Amino acid sequence: MSTTTQVVVLDNGGGLIKAGFGGERDPSAILPNCLHKPLASKKWLHPNPLNTPASAEQDLTSASVRRPMDRGYLINPDLQREIWSHLFTSILRINPSQSSLLLTEPLFSLPSIQHSLDELVFEDFNFTSLYVADSPSLVHLYETSRSPNGLLSKAQCSLVVDCGFSFTHASPVFQNFTLNYAVKRIDLGGKALTNYLKELISFRSVNVMDETFIIDDVKENLCFVSVDVPRHLNIARKSGKENLLRCTYVLPDGVSHTKGFVKYPEQANRYLSDGKEMKEDVDDHEEILQQQHENNRQKVDLTKNEFDLTNERFLVPEMIFRPADLGMNQAGLPDCIVRAVNACHPHLHPVLYESIILTGGSTLFPHFAERLEKELRPLVPDDYDVKITTQEDPLLGVWRGGSLLASSPDFDSMCVTKAEYEELGSARCRKRFFH
Amino acid sequence: MEEDGSNSNRRMSSRTRKVASKMVAALASSDNRTQAALARLDALENDNAGFEVPDPNIDDDDASLDDDDQGFMQRKQSKGTKRKTRQAKALEARKAPRTFLELLHDANLESLPPHVPSYWKAAVGPPSSTARRHFCTVCGFSANYTCVRCGMRFCSNRCQNVHNDTRCLKFVA
Ligand SMILES: [Zn+2]
Ligand SMILES: [Zn+2]
Repeated sequence: MSTTTQVVVLDNGGGLIKAGFGGERDPSAILPNCLHKPLASKKWLHPNPLNTPASAEQDLTSASVRRPMDRGYLINPDLQREIWSHLFTSILRINPSQSSLLLTEPLFSLPSIQHSLDELVFEDFNFTSLYVADSPSLVHLYETSRSPNGLLSKAQCSLVVDCGFSFTHASPVFQNFTLNYAVKRIDLGGKALTNYLKELISFRSVNVMDETFIIDDVKENLCFVSVDVPRHLNIARKSGKENLLRCTYVLPDGVSHTKGFVKYPEQANRYLSDGKEMKEDVDDHEEILQQQHENNRQKVDLTKNEFDLTNERFLVPEMIFRPADLGMNQAGLPDCIVRAVNACHPHLHPVLYESIILTGGSTLFPHFAERLEKELRPLVPDDYDVKITTQEDPLLGVWRGGSLLASSPDFDSMCVTKAEYEELGSARCRKRFFH
Repeated sequence: MEEDGSNSNRRMSSRTRKVASKMVAALASSDNRTQAALARLDALENDNAGFEVPDPNIDDDDASLDDDDQGFMQRKQSKGTKRKTRQAKALEARKAPRTFLELLHDANLESLPPHVPSYWKAAVGPPSSTARRHFCTVCGFSANYTCVRCGMRFCSNRCQNVHNDTRCLKFVA
């Protein structure tokens, strides 16, 4: 195979597509994996890539959304074809028939779904060859390459916790292979968190049930993981300036601003001011802020173009730790990790607990790792260390691992070529990737 | 919600496959509280795919409409457009991709030998401690009371009133 063939690296997430070229540090495009229809539009439109200025100009107020993925898996190949076609032609500007593809696929995909993906890759887009990778092994690969002398590299194993858009997986990886038999999944990810936040805000202040994009922004900017829930609940109950958690989000008005924003960013970050111990004394500046705030609150009821958040800020990410609170019959993240580790050979247990890597957009909530450690520690035998690292960029970690793999000398030989696909068919080609 | 099945047979065949297995269980049970809880969880995976009345000329997605809305619109639509064109029908077929839970059902993973890892086997399983914390569904604070009709929690009289007025059984329809 020619060494000049470029490798397109495509981390095809349920929420975001990360796409670019093997060997580069960062993807060229980060694109919502959906079509949307803004209120003013009759047609479904492609969202602009997030890493471009054009993205900030799109008015997504009350936009409808169609996604090719459901619960993390591809269900609508036609829609995915449309999105990929736009991606390859207008954004990456590549010719698939002269490119190789490294594609990520969620764990435990179904044969019928793999079949549709292979069809897309080879029959619709004519890629010359394909390699299918799972996220945990790519994350492991990337992290070992970053510290070749670290524990991860020496022990050749890690426990990758990927809390993404559709679900959360705890996956042990050993010698660059994900130990499928030990992987544990919680059916909760960023999408459910956003929907839960929508529900809370809609019942308590303004109806935002149609505002996926705005509430994503609220979640990303204002939610955090509590390391002390009872204490934060108490603070959230207080009135006036004593309530260090209250903050205000302004909805777009469609005239002066088409994006929502946090009203007083300083106020919103008070709870972070010194880690666990929140500043209980409020200085003059804060007082003025608070007064402005109280004044503005009177406007709220008239215009309803803004809303306050208090306990919602931490009760939403709380679901990942205690899905049972919501009525889900599933264990939370700390138990999920313990169960994944226990499904591995006992020799691996101590190293796995020492090599926990957090990745995925939902691990970006402030204090996520801290809370996880606090709850995990008591569940782990005393003589084992617990060490949790968050990836430098939890959104891009998987892609970067893919880029690294795509530029390795063995890559070509790992791929299935179009000719092999035509000869052997989807099912038999697939066997190559995971053995 | 008792399904009498007689007036909606045609719809049922495709709808029953569409809903999650847990939803099937919920519909079969007449227990409002279970239904409410499961429907609420299901709603967490919804997209706002637009709730306007489907127009066959616009490539629309009604996948997230709830059962009753969809059944209603389907009936209304078929009344109004007796002479639906072949093209419109094709569009309709195309715009209704199968859900993951349907695909999962068809994959028949239950038939795999027990040592083969699968989607079902990777599920984390139930929580080890049965202690469930209860937060008021209205205001978010600790809640000591349960609504007898829907099972949701509230903390006070005030919140109970809000609950009754705005959200009780909302997800059951
Ligand atoms: Zn309450
Ligand atoms: Zn109720």
